[in-house]
Amino acid sequence: MTLFLQELVIGVTTGAIYALIALGYTMVYGIIELINFAHGDIFMIGTFVCVSIFAAFGITTSSTAPTGFALVGVLLITLLGAIAVCAVLGVVIERVAYRPLRNAPRLAPLISAIGVSLILEDVGKLWKGITFVSFPQIVPQIFYHIGPIVITSINILVLIVALVLMVGLQWLVTRTRTGRAMRAVAQDREAAALMGVNVNRIIAITFFIGAGLAGAAGLIYGLQFGSTIFYLGFTLGLFAFTAAVLGGIGNLVGAMLGGVLIGVIEALSTLIPDSNNGGIGLPHGGAAWHEAIIFVVLILILVFRPSGLLGQQTPEKV
Amino acid sequence: MAIANTFVPARNTRAILIKWIVGLLVPVAVFTFVWSGEAIINNALLGVFGLGGVSDIAILVQIALFLVIFYATVIALAGYLVAADSGLRGMIEVWVDILVFVLVPLFLVISLGLIIGLALCAIIWPVYFFARRRIYKAINYTPPTPLLNLKVLSDEQRVELKNRAISGSFWFSVALAVVWLVVDLIFYVSGSLPTSLLIWVVIRTLLLPVAGYFLGRLAGVIALRRTIAAKSNGNDGNVSDGAGKRVRQRQLEKLSTTRVREEAKDLVPNDLPLRSTGAQRFFLILLVAFVLFYPVIDPFLFGFGTAGRLAGYGDAGYYVILALGLNIVVGFAGLLDLGYVAFFAIGAYTWGIFGSTQLTNVLNLAPINPHLLSALFWPMVIVAALVAALFGVLLGAPTLRLRGDYLAIVTLGFGEIVPIVFLELDQYTNGTNGIVGVHSPSFFGIDWSVITPVPYYYLILALIAFSIFVNVRLRDSRLGRAWIAIREDEIAAASSGVNLVTTKLFAFGTGAFFSGIAGAYHTAKLGGVSPDSFSFGDSVIFLAMVVIGGIGSIPGVIVGALAVYSINQFLLAQLDSLAADPSNPLFAVRNAIAHVFTGFTFGNIRNLIFGVILVVIMIYRPEGLIPSARRRRELHEVEEEGVEVGALGVVPGAPGFESEVRVE
Amino acid sequence: MGVELANEAMLKLNKVSKHFGGLAAVQDLDLVVMPKEIISVIGPNGAGKTTVFNLITGIYRPSSGDIFLAGKSLSGLSPDKVLRRGIARTFQNIRLFNNMTVLENVLVGQHAQLKAGIIGSTFRPPGVVREEAEARQRAIELLSFFGSELVDRQEEYVINLSYAYRRRVEIARALAANPKLLLLDEPTAGMNEAETLDAVKYIQRLRDELHLTILLIEHKLAVTMGMSDRIYVLDYGRKIAEGLPEEVRRDEKVIAAYLGTPTKRGQKQESVE
Repeated sequence: MTLFLQELVIGVTTGAIYALIALGYTMVYGIIELINFAHGDIFMIGTFVCVSIFAAFGITTSSTAPTGFALVGVLLITLLGAIAVCAVLGVVIERVAYRPLRNAPRLAPLISAIGVSLILEDVGKLWKGITFVSFPQIVPQIFYHIGPIVITSINILVLIVALVLMVGLQWLVTRTRTGRAMRAVAQDREAAALMGVNVNRIIAITFFIGAGLAGAAGLIYGLQFGSTIFYLGFTLGLFAFTAAVLGGIGNLVGAMLGGVLIGVIEALSTLIPDSNNGGIGLPHGGAAWHEAIIFVVLILILVFRPSGLLGQQTPEKV
Repeated sequence: MAIANTFVPARNTRAILIKWIVGLLVPVAVFTFVWSGEAIINNALLGVFGLGGVSDIAILVQIALFLVIFYATVIALAGYLVAADSGLRGMIEVWVDILVFVLVPLFLVISLGLIIGLALCAIIWPVYFFARRRIYKAINYTPPTPLLNLKVLSDEQRVELKNRAISGSFWFSVALAVVWLVVDLIFYVSGSLPTSLLIWVVIRTLLLPVAGYFLGRLAGVIALRRTIAAKSNGNDGNVSDGAGKRVRQRQLEKLSTTRVREEAKDLVPNDLPLRSTGAQRFFLILLVAFVLFYPVIDPFLFGFGTAGRLAGYGDAGYYVILALGLNIVVGFAGLLDLGYVAFFAIGAYTWGIFGSTQLTNVLNLAPINPHLLSALFWPMVIVAALVAALFGVLLGAPTLRLRGDYLAIVTLGFGEIVPIVFLELDQYTNGTNGIVGVHSPSFFGIDWSVITPVPYYYLILALIAFSIFVNVRLRDSRLGRAWIAIREDEIAAASSGVNLVTTKLFAFGTGAFFSGIAGAYHTAKLGGVSPDSFSFGDSVIFLAMVVIGGIGSIPGVIVGALAVYSINQFLLAQLDSLAADPSNPLFAVRNAIAHVFTGFTFGNIRNLIFGVILVVIMIYRPEGLIPSARRRRELHEVEEEGVEVGALGVVPGAPGFESEVRVE
Repeated sequence: MGVELANEAMLKLNKVSKHFGGLAAVQDLDLVVMPKEIISVIGPNGAGKTTVFNLITGIYRPSSGDIFLAGKSLSGLSPDKVLRRGIARTFQNIRLFNNMTVLENVLVGQHAQLKAGIIGSTFRPPGVVREEAEARQRAIELLSFFGSELVDRQEEYVINLSYAYRRRVEIARALAANPKLLLLDEPTAGMNEAETLDAVKYIQRLRDELHLTILLIEHKLAVTMGMSDRIYVLDYGRKIAEGLPEEVRRDEKVIAAYLGTPTKRGQKQESVE
């Protein structure tokens, strides 16, 4: 039971990170019906940006970590830096690789997105090499015990950052003019244009925000897990996309919910015993199969409830 | 006299004669004298006469066949071109075209090797196109729009056509004989030509013109078959010739400009004879001869290392099969499959498990006689393909109701899951270590493991031929039409009687079938199989082959497969090995870049290059390198005829159509 | 083309309803089409007419009620099976296969009539070769129903044709399936007067020469009145009138549905529910 709850905690914190990335996927899909394959890799670039900013401050390991206000300052600057770089990157990608294909058959922007993903992965490879890159753990690990389970200060930081950003996004989308424009463009692009909305600008803003969130996710991911690598974006991106679909693609709250759910599913799957030791389970234990499990979840959703948990069932009109 | 008419060309054809004789003679001369055509012949002859050179009879026969086919085809081509040319394009234009598209590649390949040579061509040609367009614009020259002058020939014109073909081939072969004679005399005088071969020189000089005459007649027949009158017989069987001609001409007059252009490529007289379908048949013969006899002529063309090259081509071959298989799923049926590697893995493991001791180990049976196993490779290829096809259907089933992007993601998911399954079920598949010791196939008792890669080369050629055959047949069949219909408009297809479920499953299954073949071959050649050969990266590469080559186009995806394979396996590795040599300029280039990006090698940026290529192609040439006629039209809608579309101005079948139509 | 029993209805809709979430697109519709009739369904925009077609051809499943073709129920059948039973249709916004030729479009229409499977398609035994040749011949015959123009342009990509010709190709494609009942969704939409007259003529020929039963949706009242044996009028998904053209034309409910009821001084009135 303890193990279960502990995994639950891990799942929720990881899930919060997935949620931030999932938001980017769901926002972009909602507005131009494109699965932005490169989004996961933007997240990976975000982690690299953080490592570089730390290095610029002279922080390369946890021992060189600052404390107190300096720590907070560094964290804030890194957060803003990662967000900024990724947001700009997102906009550039949209402008260069997706906008020319706005009216092309569906296959074209999807393939272009795959191309961008490949480019970013190699950029990562060139930037930080092909092996794991250690992410300085600059936030001091403080363990809090709540009953039998342990929560660390980093877990809490992750949750706080994710929550703040999600709330901020929700506010932006529901209460500002820009947010309203975004929702309008997502519902009916031509009508929105006729109402005076600058569609190109709104799409760019959507990419800006989505990618920025991925950048923020990069920082908290690195703080939580301590390392990153150039192909990180691919797998995590797919998990986050599954989360977006699970929650209902195009639905922001759905993405947040889906992210947490996927995190939990992933964490709980490690509890599946190893069938090689006799008894039921999976060969080599659930942990080795966690990717497959999440993909199976994705496939099941798409087959049985493609609109996701919170999405609306829109029948296709003929 | 009739014969005089044949041999002495009329005044208006003299220019055409010179155009093509010179145009064809230069490349043929380059091939013969520079690139070892002569070396092949002389060595073969010496071998025949027991004077050194090549002595193996089998090889001699093959060489002889190749040479005969090569020169005969070129001579006949000369006749065809002279006959088919309408004379519209000028000499210089044609010569420059031949220079850029034939001679430059020849020289690059000779000096830099096949892969790098072709890679450079891939860069030079677009630059040439671009530059030429700019120059034309600058000097305000619009090249004449070709292929719009359709003529129905009178009977005398048909006779003249025949004569032109004969004189074309005849004078070409005369020119060739003369040039050859002169060159050989120079060689003889400078001592490089053995005296014993002089007889051959004489025979050849006399033989060529004679061959030219007869080949010219053949070329004339071919050209005549492609005139408008002749081609009318296809559609209206019983109509007499005169009316048939008129029907055909009237039909052609009614078609739109682009459609006429497509048809006109087939016809004689032709404004762009080099690009006409007739000429393409000749090129195809040359290509097939080249590919078929490659193992025996490679030593002459490229020197040492034949075995290594052949092994490489054997590997490249299975990429072609994969591309052809994926072409069915993505190109014909329009189902974006991002997990194609899964079926490749299934095919590979099927033979891997069966063809080694793995199966008997797992089932605790006595080991099977290895020779029997080797012989069973042939039926097992089919079994592996069928197993893969079965999984194609199983994994395709959940995707049937999904739209494009979601379908892609689900297939991607399967593409990830299957290798994981193979990795983790190590009780059956031996996990990360993979399966080794797979027995090589045997042919009539001869075990291949002890021979050179030549058998694998021919095996893959046979498999490729089979794949092409199936692809072409399916494309022009009831099933192929159903696939294209689904791709265009599912609802209209269903309402016309196409069963969406079975048709889509057939697409998945057939595509997977070819993947299974490629997988079994791969395992056989490698002698084993391991899970790290199968990853999403591979699925992307397979997709890239189809996309870059031309979605839905059979020659396109073949070229795409070879291009992608070259980049993937050869080009970057070769660049790296060149850059390791300090005397090579690439050395400095690589070091400079490595200063900024540590750990830079050319091999490392493979994905970067692919990524850039994919994006650029999608934006600037989404129909691919060699597009199918349909796709080029579909993606570059430049129709002159006004198309009146219904009320909403949204074309059915275009993306987003469904959401536009209101519920009535 | 069609063989029917004299007294049995060709098509019968029995209290058919269709709901999309809260929206009732079609409510309690009863409709009968006898063999060799030309029946029109008319009504203002949004009345549910195309939905009725979609229900008949299996694109939507009725929320309640049943649909019978020559006495046999069509419930639960997918569109391709409905086609095989004998119902073919055209669409409001012409859904042709744009990147195929005229001939190929009509050949796809024959998909259900042909038998070649994957093995036959690959290896082309004589049976398949003959089948394909006959199919081509039949396609040309179908195109010639509209005159020689389309036959001459059979190798043209359909996207290059004018609207009126595209409409004809779509009908030829529907005819290729050898149907008993033909559903035409606004066959004269977007056509000028001359083209409309042409269309009316060939629709009548479809019934007279090819012995088809025809159900059509039509907005142009003049066309409907002149061509139909009977007319059904829908509004907001319900049938508000049915009968002979002269009866329907004078029906008050119909007039109100199209034009609205006259307003009292200063008050606006919605049309009758």
